[in-house]
Amino acid sequence: MFGFGKKKKSISITAPITGKVVPLEQVPDPAFAQKIIGDGIAIEPEQGSLVAPFDGHVIHLIDTHHSLVLGHESGLELLVHIGVNTVSLQGKPFTTYVKSGDKVKKGDKLIDFDIAQIKEAGLPVITPIIVANGDIVAELKVNQGQATANSSELMEITLK
Amino acid sequence: MEKQFTIKNPQGIHARPAGAIMKKASEFANAQISLEFNGRKVSAKSITGVLTLGMKAGDSVTVITEGEQAAEALEAVGSIIESVLD
Repeated sequence: MFGFGKKKKSISITAPITGKVVPLEQVPDPAFAQKIIGDGIAIEPEQGSLVAPFDGHVIHLIDTHHSLVLGHESGLELLVHIGVNTVSLQGKPFTTYVKSGDKVKKGDKLIDFDIAQIKEAGLPVITPIIVANGDIVAELKVNQGQATANSSELMEITLK
Repeated sequence: MEKQFTIKNPQGIHARPAGAIMKKASEFANAQISLEFNGRKVSAKSITGVLTLGMKAGDSVTVITEGEQAAEALEAVGSIIESVLD
């Protein structure tokens, strides 16, 4: 009102993995494909390295090291899940560089993962990247195509 | 209302079961549903909250509900917690 309307906050999410960006519907797990967990995008990784997509902190690293939730200073929560059913690998193909509670800077190494080992186990490496608290999101724009870690913009999110 | 439930999922509460708990809890729009485990209490409607509890098979979690349909919500969320979703 009177020209002093609250400016909506926009957050740029940089690709955390190098690979091909595909819609969530292509993830062979209904919890992700049907967006039960939340809206977002998936990357078919070409390099086994996950880096921080923004400055923030690690809210939670799952103890089997295949997934984590990152927090942005705005309150946005991003869930990254490397592969499908990879919980069953008990952490073996994963090397972590962070723990729950750590502060991270954009581009910091979070988890390395052995793509060959995951595929040998018969599991997809496709990695959903999900907004875990979609209730604070007004709009989510996704850039599909090829993504380069710590370089391409993956998503632009406008908060309510 | 509150009641204790036991995690049956062999892999514990990872992303998929946490998503199922959140989805069920979210169906009860006018109920407040919390999970309490290991001295921490979170909203069952937050997947991040549910994941951060780090619950394993055999762990016992308390579901606490208030508001509309509190009893139904308690049983519905409890039944997801006790189901095997792997």
